[in-house]
Amino acid sequence: MDWRDVTVYVNGDEYTKTIPVQMTLAEFLRDELFLTGTKIGCNEGECGACTVILDGVAVNSCLVLAVHADGKNVLTIEGVSEGELHPLQQAFLDAGAVQCGFCTPGMIMTAKALLDRDPAPSREVIRKEIEGNLCRCTGYNRIIDAVEKAALMLQKR
Amino acid sequence: MDYIVKTRPAKIDPLFPEINIDPGDVFDFPDDSVELPAIIGKSLPRKDGQEKVTGRTKFGADHNIPGQLYAAVLHSTEAHAVIRKIDTSEAKKIKGVRAVLTGEDCKVRFGHMLVDQPVLAQEKVRYWGEPVAAVAADTLHLAKLAVRKIKVDYEPLPVVETVEDALRADTLVHENWSDYQLLGGCAPVPGTNIVDEFVLVHGDVEKGFREADVVVENELFCSMIQHAPLETHAAIAIADHDNCHIISPAQSPFMIRKIIANAFGYRLDRVRVTCTDIGGAFGCKVEARLEPLCVALARRTKRPVKLVFERHEEFAAALARAGVKFRIKTGATKEGKLTAQQIYIYWDTGAYATFGPRVNYNAGFASNGPYYIPNSFVDGFCLVSNKSLGTAYRGFGITEVAFAHETQMDALANKLGIDPLEFRLKNALRNGQESVAGEVMQDVGISECLEKAAEAVGWYDGPLQWRTAEGKLRGKGIACFIKLTGTPSTTSVMLRMNEDGTVTLLSGSREMGQGVETVLPQLASSVLGIDVERIIMSPVDTAFTPYDKTTTSSRSTFHGGLAVMDAARDMVRQLKALMARHWDCPVEEITYDKGVIRCLFDPEASVDINTSFFTRYLKEEPPIIAVGRYGTKDIFSPPDPDTHQSDRPTIMWMMGAQAAEVEVDPDTGRTKIIRIGAAHDVGRAINPDNCRQQIQGAVLMGVGNALLEEMIYVNGVLVNANMVDYKIPTSMDADFETMVDLVECPHNTGPYGVKGIGEPGMAPTAPAIANAISRACGHQFKSIPVKAEHVLFRE
Ligand code: FES
Ligand code: FES
Repeated sequence: MDWRDVTVYVNGDEYTKTIPVQMTLAEFLRDELFLTGTKIGCNEGECGACTVILDGVAVNSCLVLAVHADGKNVLTIEGVSEGELHPLQQAFLDAGAVQCGFCTPGMIMTAKALLDRDPAPSREVIRKEIEGNLCRCTGYNRIIDAVEKAALMLQKR
Repeated sequence: MDYIVKTRPAKIDPLFPEINIDPGDVFDFPDDSVELPAIIGKSLPRKDGQEKVTGRTKFGADHNIPGQLYAAVLHSTEAHAVIRKIDTSEAKKIKGVRAVLTGEDCKVRFGHMLVDQPVLAQEKVRYWGEPVAAVAADTLHLAKLAVRKIKVDYEPLPVVETVEDALRADTLVHENWSDYQLLGGCAPVPGTNIVDEFVLVHGDVEKGFREADVVVENELFCSMIQHAPLETHAAIAIADHDNCHIISPAQSPFMIRKIIANAFGYRLDRVRVTCTDIGGAFGCKVEARLEPLCVALARRTKRPVKLVFERHEEFAAALARAGVKFRIKTGATKEGKLTAQQIYIYWDTGAYATFGPRVNYNAGFASNGPYYIPNSFVDGFCLVSNKSLGTAYRGFGITEVAFAHETQMDALANKLGIDPLEFRLKNALRNGQESVAGEVMQDVGISECLEKAAEAVGWYDGPLQWRTAEGKLRGKGIACFIKLTGTPSTTSVMLRMNEDGTVTLLSGSREMGQGVETVLPQLASSVLGIDVERIIMSPVDTAFTPYDKTTTSSRSTFHGGLAVMDAARDMVRQLKALMARHWDCPVEEITYDKGVIRCLFDPEASVDINTSFFTRYLKEEPPIIAVGRYGTKDIFSPPDPDTHQSDRPTIMWMMGAQAAEVEVDPDTGRTKIIRIGAAHDVGRAINPDNCRQQIQGAVLMGVGNALLEEMIYVNGVLVNANMVDYKIPTSMDADFETMVDLVECPHNTGPYGVKGIGEPGMAPTAPAIANAISRACGHQFKSIPVKAEHVLFRE
């Protein structure tokens, strides 16, 4: 097995680790850094539960090798809020967009990456954007409501 | 088939007048003159929400134990075969591999009705994906590597793939039922693939069919589908020969405890199940799945063992909803009065019994729908086959039987030229009528549900079938259902007042997204008058949580709620006694109102338990701990085994209706949902928004069932065992509105009149959509899902 040293900036903290080259970013976050907020629903890029933001872009962390994140910035659900909830998190609660909660971290990360680049997306854009994030509980429309609400909250800031 | 209704009814004219029961006889509670506590009917945000949006919630795979080993499983590549030889020598040679187990090393079987399922295949495999060997190693990577080194030599056997194969019984999935310990709830038939049969006889169907002017007969089919929760199965076990500790997202921890104790020969109290949060279950986490494998490996290695299913393993070897075939015949008079219904049901429940017989039982009772039918005959067979294991799935067979009876209702209405809604309303059950189970029904709200659901999609606003200007086919359909909750059943809870006056609620009801962690505190607060913010549910652990039978059957708010209110009343008694001691007055002179305790004759003696001032009275006092219980054994009237007639087969019936408007593209065959109206009798909505969330989410699950989902087996091999080939609905499939109506026809026993809503939201969705598609296309579809290819290639 090949090992490699990597330095990854996760939620603003620097981590240097020696890891096997085939380790995915999802495994790195969960098993090496104990950041279990990033979920694994399929481990093959089909469900979006593992979505994190890598240098500003939402990615399925189960499809990215950890060595690929060397020297890069990663934002996970644990880094979205400091102290008080991020408007997206608040909006998910207010809109009733959470049931079992397993898809929620990935949904919020996908939505955050969207709002970071498009602060006022239409419902159609939101719907399309979260297409790759599966949810078995909510029926999605409340999630779309939540993202719309959060966009308004962020615009008012 | 011509589905166009030519004359639209001006108004509904029920054939059966409402039979009035003296309310004094039936409704002792709730009394409508009593004002509801303000906390009841309040849409509080979910208590577990904050943890979930911040990523702090710990699901099964998020837990780790120091010193744990990682497990991986070798799954059968054959559907039905004798295992000639398993060679594990190469796997065992890998450094860091601590155990390699096969059926030879672990001869344990488990089950909760029938102890038929081996932890690892014994001598033969019975389905594609069945665990054949398991490895525990220092890392997951090593465990998976070792699994790939195991070689198995199979001798294939004929595959039992359909209910016809199973009935023919040329090949037996299980050679000898009597080899297995029978715990109850089913009666396998020797020499067959029948694991249980359910027969319901009410009136005389032959006579009923003679009285009918029209009779329709159909053969109908529902595919096998997956629960597909976003969280796959996961478990950790720490075990030796005396004690066993399991950590898993169990839906019914006390049931898992019993299964494990029975399988491995532990005394019940030596098995502990610690529950993690659940990332969706829908029935699939009610069964013991990874727990037995982890226990076997942990006993062997003397180390904690963790196992998490990959998604493809979840498809291959977790659980499913059984496929089912119906042969159904229904008769009605020309006025539209149902006279008889005869239903043969064949469940393709897969390789082992699991909860299959219970599905057959619950669905058998529900299979006639919420209708008054004087003559009925139901014969349900639970059949084993060489497929994944069919078990509980959001409703225990309710969607499937609703698809059958609702297809029939449309077919009859169509033949008679009666509007399908009107036809249903003519026959809908009413208070005081006898159900097909022989029970005199009470608190029935189905007519209102039908009307409201229909109204939501503009049922009377225009035709039920038309072609749009773009040439698309539009249709509306409606469907309803009836469902029982498992009875008899029992639960208990505990309320502990902490030193600071907050209250911890211990209950085995598992939060899995349905909101029980919010609703039970609301019910406690309604009696105690303690701010609901100050009541929190404890994690669930069989080591300290009081017994609860299971979190299934839409029972938790009803059963758990009654137990919580019982405990809360006990807590009020204790609080009154506490203050009587402090104020030195007789307890009879103490009053308790919304958390304010007073002494009648001393204006100074008054305290609000929500204040920090109150906590001084708790100091060095015997702690306030209250226990509440609820069980339905005494109201249950055991159904006659030959006819399943019973005065009271269940404590609670749930009913509801949904209507769908769909648009079918005649060129692509694709169906688009335009809108859904969902009206469910929830008895009383404790948290209305939570009820709506349950229904809206369930409706989309139903859309998947109606249009997309099916486990496709080819020669016993599941060929779509991943989330690309097995599609669950995405946000793009959800682009329609679900209008929810919460009908409140209070139950006479449930807390404030509550009935269940966790499962019902999905029950009528697929049948309503199927009826709408059939109407849009002018063609009766006889199976679900109705996919584009079925629409395009209809005869
Ligand atoms: S876990 Fe990465 S996409 Fe499903
Ligand atoms: S809330 Fe359960 S999967 Fe989305």
